[in-house]
Amino acid sequence: MERLDAAQAREHLDLIDRILAESQPRLCSGGEYFVVWGIAGAVITVVGHLVGAGLVAAAVLWCVPAVLLASAIFSVVRARHRQQVVTRSSLVQREFFNVLVVTLGLAVIVNVAVFRIFPGIAGAAIWSVAEAIVLFYIGLHGNRRAQMGGLIVVVSLIAANFTAQNAAAYVLAAGMLVGFAGFGIGELIARD
Amino acid sequence: MDELLLSKVRLGVVAELLNFDWVTFSELARSLNVSNGNLGAHMSKLLDAAYVEEEKTFVNRRPLTRYRLTKRGRDAFSAHVSQLQALLKEAT
Repeated sequence: MERLDAAQAREHLDLIDRILAESQPRLCSGGEYFVVWGIAGAVITVVGHLVGAGLVAAAVLWCVPAVLLASAIFSVVRARHRQQVVTRSSLVQREFFNVLVVTLGLAVIVNVAVFRIFPGIAGAAIWSVAEAIVLFYIGLHGNRRAQMGGLIVVVSLIAANFTAQNAAAYVLAAGMLVGFAGFGIGELIARD
Repeated sequence: MDELLLSKVRLGVVAELLNFDWVTFSELARSLNVSNGNLGAHMSKLLDAAYVEEEKTFVNRRPLTRYRLTKRGRDAFSAHVSQLQALLKEAT
């Protein structure tokens, strides 16, 4: 069996250190998902409010599943495409997408199937909480734009709580647009 | 010592794959600065030992081969690094 001497062992450990230092995986959030889901969340929140307040016909609610379905289809198609063309896909990245899918997936389930416990604006607030979790998760990896986005979403939640009931949905929707979709736009601009 | 990981190229491949889910063949060749033929021979040995797994697909009608580390490969790498560190400790 081949043996290494101490100098060769040092050389091999240095090689490993160098490779690991150079290949530190960065968390690339994929800004387009945030733009799509941020807009979807805002649209659903505002439509839900308008229908609830009787300002538009109840039939408009049908746009909610359509928006959700379109966003989900976009996300799946885009993720598959990314998976094929990307030359390196880090474990941190995979973990992030798992967090994204689980968090937003649970928020969708709550909005679609638990609407009696979380009626109206409560469903939108749950959606905002899910968005804030995703943004702060990215923020924990050192992304300041995500920290800022998360903060905006949380501030919108608190502000909505103290706003007149007929305006709360707009405040939450604004948080989703500026904090979540805005973060996505920032990421897309930074990537380009 | 793990004989497979005594080769600097194979050790480099495993270290490159350590933090990544998948890395393409061309990306490995580029980052390790080795020829395709050389890397191909080393990858075959790592595949035979089940240290890495391979996936072959087509993207825009062009073949794309990518690799990821298996649990066996990760364990072997950890043990190998521990042995290298022990060897250094013994020598000093």
